[in-house]
Amino acid sequence: MIYLDSAATTLQKPGSVARAMCRAITTMASPGRGGHPAANSAAQVAFDCREEAARLFGLENPEHVVFTCNATHALNIAIKSLIKAGDTVLISGYEHNAVTRPLSAMEGVTVKVADGMLFSPEDMLERFDRLLTPEVNAVVCTHVSNVFGYILPIDKIACLCQERRVPLIVDASQSAGCLPVDMGRWKAAFVAMPGHKGLYGPQGTGLLLCGAPVRPIMEGGTGSESLLQQMPDFLPDRLEAGTHNIPGICGLLEGLRFVARRGVESIGRHEAQLIGQMAKGLSGIPGVHVFHAPRHQSGVLSFTVDGFDCEQVGQLLAAGGIAVRCGLHCAPFAHRTAGTLQTGTVRASVSAFNTKYDMDRLIGAVKQIVSKQ
Amino acid sequence: MLYYLIVCRSLTYAQRTTAALERAGVTAQTLRSPKSISGEGCSHCVRVPAYALNEALSILHRAGLDPKRVFSALSDGSYEEVRLI
Repeated sequence: MIYLDSAATTLQKPGSVARAMCRAITTMASPGRGGHPAANSAAQVAFDCREEAARLFGLENPEHVVFTCNATHALNIAIKSLIKAGDTVLISGYEHNAVTRPLSAMEGVTVKVADGMLFSPEDMLERFDRLLTPEVNAVVCTHVSNVFGYILPIDKIACLCQERRVPLIVDASQSAGCLPVDMGRWKAAFVAMPGHKGLYGPQGTGLLLCGAPVRPIMEGGTGSESLLQQMPDFLPDRLEAGTHNIPGICGLLEGLRFVARRGVESIGRHEAQLIGQMAKGLSGIPGVHVFHAPRHQSGVLSFTVDGFDCEQVGQLLAAGGIAVRCGLHCAPFAHRTAGTLQTGTVRASVSAFNTKYDMDRLIGAVKQIVSKQ
Repeated sequence: MLYYLIVCRSLTYAQRTTAALERAGVTAQTLRSPKSISGEGCSHCVRVPAYALNEALSILHRAGLDPKRVFSALSDGSYEEVRLI
């Protein structure tokens, strides 16, 4: 199979990830819940993972790295820690439902949308500048659109937030592992990311980097301050109730080490080259419309094919051994902003493990689909 | 007196403390705190040899990891809190 759905989950992982998970499930227990070797080795892995993540994402204190189930879980904690009823929140027009649904579920929250033109960071910045008015209590912004791979001008948006003293939540779901994510530079309140995409960890893992006071959305045992009936007031315990996903964390640690060894910029460059090749090949096919902008796009590319429903294209590609994702990609805001809400798109997304050959296979398969019309 | 226990607010804080000490060449081990000194219930501590306490405290101060409480282990198996000045 040619796997081009890494924006959902990277399927190909470094071999060390599965080996580490296997080791964890047979030898490790739960961090902080005992003084025996099985608990201690679990604790060591959790700590090593926090340290690795802190190094990679510009955090001084590994205690501020919190394990979550996925980016959605991390975003829920961030949003519910920072935003309360009556607040006004400014978001980009490219947010995932992981951001917009929690906001929608909160009573009395006003959401303003900076719906800048696709692949126009200047336009996006101008809209943020205009909409970031004194009544805005928080900004939530994705680093990269999960539909179009559009890299938003997050450095400049973070600067605006700092200047106007408005806390910022960054959704780094599509950027962690392939673009620099720097909590220190952004001075963000929170950065949320999954473990199972560009960090090459297993499904069921995520990270929340914390730079602001937090409010737990789940309470329970933490292995600390057990006499108290309130959650501990320190991180990471305050947000980590219950038994940790140690096999997942063990796998995530190996994924993080892979990214650190290979280098974030090197992975990003590789993905951008593949996307460039894919865009060039697909745009030469009559009836195929490609959403591409070389300087502003990461390893995700959307396209449509005249005369075909996007899901039909996905099925035909799957029958030919190529895995892509079709539809709205859980991001109706992004489609509305880009004008593709009615049609949806076919999305092909790459990882460090894809090759030029994979791109040629996709281009050939789309040519074949179009020619049979 | 055999060793000291530096009581920490969390397992991760104890691990940071141990890592900072070990990086500076002081032998340290993260442990669950004995019940008698664990304060609000379960907690974690870092064990350091008796001879290394002063050095450990200055390393931790430089690293911004000042300890919450420190106990000395006595030969009868009990613990006595050390006043930090």
